[in-house]
Amino acid sequence: MARYIAKRLVYMILVFFLLTFLLFMIYQLMPANRAYTEARTEIQSLKKLSADEKETKFDELYLKYRRRYGTDTDNKVVLYLRWLGLYPISSARYQVVRDLDACLSFVTQVGGFPVDVKQSEDLSPKLTLHNEEELRAFLESPEYLASRELLATEKESSIRMKNLYILEEHNSAPVFAGIFQGEFGFSFDYNLPVVQVVPVHMRNSFLIGLITEIAVLAVTIPLGIKCAVKKGSRFDRFTQFFTLIGFSTPSFIIYIVFIVFFCSILGWFPVMGMKTPGTNYTGLRNALDVLHHVALPTICLTFGSLAGITRITRASMIDALNLDCIRTARAKGLSEKVVIYSHAWRNALVPMVSIIVGGFFGTISGAIILESMFGFKGMGLLFYNATRNADYDMLMFLQVIYTFLGLFSNLVIDLCYGIVDPRVRISK
Amino acid sequence: MDKKENIFRKLARWLVRWIFGLKYEEKWFGVKALDKPAEIKFKNGVPDDSELIVSPGRQIFNRFMERKFAVFSVLVVLVMFCVVFIAPHFMTKYYDAFTETTQKDLPPTLDFMNVPGELAGNVKMIDSYSSFSVGLSNEGKVYVWGIGTIGATGIDVKQIPEEVKNAKIAYVAAGQDHIIAIGEDGKFYGWGNNRFGQYSVDETILANPNLEPVPDVVLNGQLDVSHIKRVTCGYQATAILMDDGTLYIWGNKQAYANMDRFIGKTNIVDVDFTLNYVVGLDEKQTGVYTGVKGLHTKAKSQIGGTKTDKMADFLNGRKINEVRATSTSVCILLDDGTIGFTGDFQSDYVEVPTLAEGERFIDIEAGTYHFSALSNLGHVYSFGGDHYRQAEAPKVNGAAKLFAGAFQSYAVDGSGKLLDKWGLSGYIFGTDDRGANIAERVVAGGRITMTVGAVAVIIEIIIGVSIGLAAGFAGGWVDIFLMRVAEVFSSIPLIPFMLILSSLLAQVSMTTDQRLYMVMVILGVLGWPGFAHITRAQVLVAREAEYVTAAQAMGVKPSRIAFKHILPNIVSVILVNMTLSFAASMQTETSLSFLGFGVNYPQPSWGNMLSRASNAVAALNFWWQWVFTSAILILTTVCINTIGDTLRDVMDPKSSNDK
Repeated sequence: MARYIAKRLVYMILVFFLLTFLLFMIYQLMPANRAYTEARTEIQSLKKLSADEKETKFDELYLKYRRRYGTDTDNKVVLYLRWLGLYPISSARYQVVRDLDACLSFVTQVGGFPVDVKQSEDLSPKLTLHNEEELRAFLESPEYLASRELLATEKESSIRMKNLYILEEHNSAPVFAGIFQGEFGFSFDYNLPVVQVVPVHMRNSFLIGLITEIAVLAVTIPLGIKCAVKKGSRFDRFTQFFTLIGFSTPSFIIYIVFIVFFCSILGWFPVMGMKTPGTNYTGLRNALDVLHHVALPTICLTFGSLAGITRITRASMIDALNLDCIRTARAKGLSEKVVIYSHAWRNALVPMVSIIVGGFFGTISGAIILESMFGFKGMGLLFYNATRNADYDMLMFLQVIYTFLGLFSNLVIDLCYGIVDPRVRISK
Repeated sequence: MDKKENIFRKLARWLVRWIFGLKYEEKWFGVKALDKPAEIKFKNGVPDDSELIVSPGRQIFNRFMERKFAVFSVLVVLVMFCVVFIAPHFMTKYYDAFTETTQKDLPPTLDFMNVPGELAGNVKMIDSYSSFSVGLSNEGKVYVWGIGTIGATGIDVKQIPEEVKNAKIAYVAAGQDHIIAIGEDGKFYGWGNNRFGQYSVDETILANPNLEPVPDVVLNGQLDVSHIKRVTCGYQATAILMDDGTLYIWGNKQAYANMDRFIGKTNIVDVDFTLNYVVGLDEKQTGVYTGVKGLHTKAKSQIGGTKTDKMADFLNGRKINEVRATSTSVCILLDDGTIGFTGDFQSDYVEVPTLAEGERFIDIEAGTYHFSALSNLGHVYSFGGDHYRQAEAPKVNGAAKLFAGAFQSYAVDGSGKLLDKWGLSGYIFGTDDRGANIAERVVAGGRITMTVGAVAVIIEIIIGVSIGLAAGFAGGWVDIFLMRVAEVFSSIPLIPFMLILSSLLAQVSMTTDQRLYMVMVILGVLGWPGFAHITRAQVLVAREAEYVTAAQAMGVKPSRIAFKHILPNIVSVILVNMTLSFAASMQTETSLSFLGFGVNYPQPSWGNMLSRASNAVAALNFWWQWVFTSAILILTTVCINTIGDTLRDVMDPKSSNDK
């Protein structure tokens, strides 16, 4: 069993890398360039410069922001590894090569030679300067002079970036800032680091999901068993009809009906939000207020999930009741209750496991439609808002969580198969 | 049997037997269906029971047909398919991005031309401007029909005030949200929305510089009714024109920028309202008077064509007798019975007909986009905008009076009998928040939703079944590898992925069709693992069968075995899952469109038509905008799911005949 888990974990890690790589590459399609927009805003706030000065200053600012966000390269694989935290970001002190005096002052600032020379988009230095003569030689070299000519005429900022020479501190310690170091990014939508925004929402989604899951299972399991046992009866046909309609209705229509009925017509519950706006309750009053707001989403989520699970329970229970071993159990003279709950239900549980466990993990990822309709601050709403506002860091982090949850839930489901079905346990 | 056993009776009996059963057939038709003994056919001296053996397909079909609900579902789905794929060809005037703000948020009704019976023989005048019409009988009684509720204000103009009901009325006129009535004694009545001083005055209205209050002469009932030439209303404005040229005009000056040029005028011969301006005719009768430079100064004699002449050149000495205005154009009736046009027209229009010898126009009336004209021979014609077929006039003889407004026209003869009416009679499902007919959008949206669902399922099947066959049949590392790939694809959560993809590709410019294809492909590409698992499981079972061994022994290539020998045996399971997957794909597409990440406006889809209903107030007040679409969507999905379930039950050899 342990070997199996270990094998699955290794596989999980591989798939995790693969999926995050895939998603990261898709994100690179977004034409948003944060460094550029930030440099632009900063340049516009500096008004007292001439056009030429503005150009050079813009280059410097653009480079500064690119190094800060780790996007000073076009190599997508390097960007991905930087995001993971497996490739160092450019954290060394640097200065743009302009003239001899500036370079020399940088050298003293850094503590003397050697210094590296590289073009701003390179990952490794072009050459290392060990003393002042080499520095002068470099400043006279044809490549550098050609780049200066280009910078004087070129307007396209990406080409300018490629031709910008910088001096960099030699052999500075590599700094990693990525997922594996706990740097998950900054959400500009909420103006907080991503890791501060997500836990609250995850807790909310989890709570509402837990309550819903318990309520749903408490209703559907007895209902499904009863329908399967009394197959063909009026009760069964009745339930079949209703679950068919519930299963065929898109969830948001159920929510709309509930909203119209409970909020507009009856006025029992408020629609949006988690708290009454403009109030500052504390303690018990706060808890009751939150409960009042959260009640309707919970009810809606429960009703939305009832139909599907009832059908599956019924179907797997019917399959179980048709097994030969049940006939044997009845022939042996066991009471019907024992036959149903002890023998048939155990067999029916096997396909149900993936539904139950999957549903449980699904609640943590949040129901996007429900939360956006009710304004419920859960993971789904976070995801929806991040998508709408192109909050890049938040989206990536949520994607990582979803991928991880998906893989982990697959693993747990497989293990639960082992727990529930002894045949699986032995064969592993 | 006394009754003739003709084909209809046989059909009726068959239907009753099928739906209700033998018992009711006996009861109603008095026939015992089983009174004929079963004939035993002999073949070579031995009973021949080969007819009792039916092929599996036939057996499945028979068992399917026993389930009434499933057959009903098949019929419903077929009808749905026909409607959404064939009906758009009949909706010639439909296009996706149609907007008509004057018709927004109207409840479902077919009453726009529902002239009350009492009025129909006795019409004195009919007027309308937006969603309701007001009529006046020769006895002075007022009638209102159409949609009288004004938006969400709760005002209903169909509730005629008591005093108006008891008085004898001489003139009525309908505006956007109010009605004006003038009694025979000169008394002035108004009802409807009064927030902009449409029919009464108070301090707030007097204090508002953007509102022109009702003139005292009118309010105090000092009008000389016998000398009223015309009463007409516009958008929250009203104009009363007297024979001597005095014009009383009041209302919302923000709607009519040039109303000031008409206030207090005493030389007006005719007046009407376009969308933003008041237009009129002064005593010179040589041009459309607006008080605004360059407005309606060039005329042409036909709607089509762009060449216009300066008004003086166009008139060439003739005088203008009548001026009538739609939202964007003005029609002038000249003293020689011909007409001219100024202003702009919609692209979907009906041209002015050429009249017969000796026939001239004697009266013009205008609606929101069309004109109707009465000729001296008692015929009526319509021309102008035709989106609601309001410019397609019937052949009428003996028409003496013509009334038009909004999108309807009425022709009345000399005694007041309503001869004919034509135009927009209403909307079966109401209109949405842009004014589009919801019924048309439901049909067009159904086509898109069903197409997306169907194509997604087809892609899923092609990819999933191929991979499942390959994995199941080949086995070994191919199997393991393909199943791992399937697992990777199935662990991508659908809705988050679609959201991301949609928002990313929204920044890349795409045509709406390309976007649609993208949605279909993504749905298919993320959904194939299900089919792969099912196919693989079936193939693993079928692989052990003897015909496969025999085929392998004969040297048939593995790919040929997989596709030609195994696949036909597992196609039933695939069929069942195909129907269920179709329903699921439709649901997913609907959910995505509802969130705004699938099919976007202007293309309709059953999902994005429901997005406005997420607002609780709108969902209650404008219930028709989501109830009909939801009902049709649910019905379709229920029927498809029923078909899938029944197929699964019917194909399962283990289940006996109990229902």
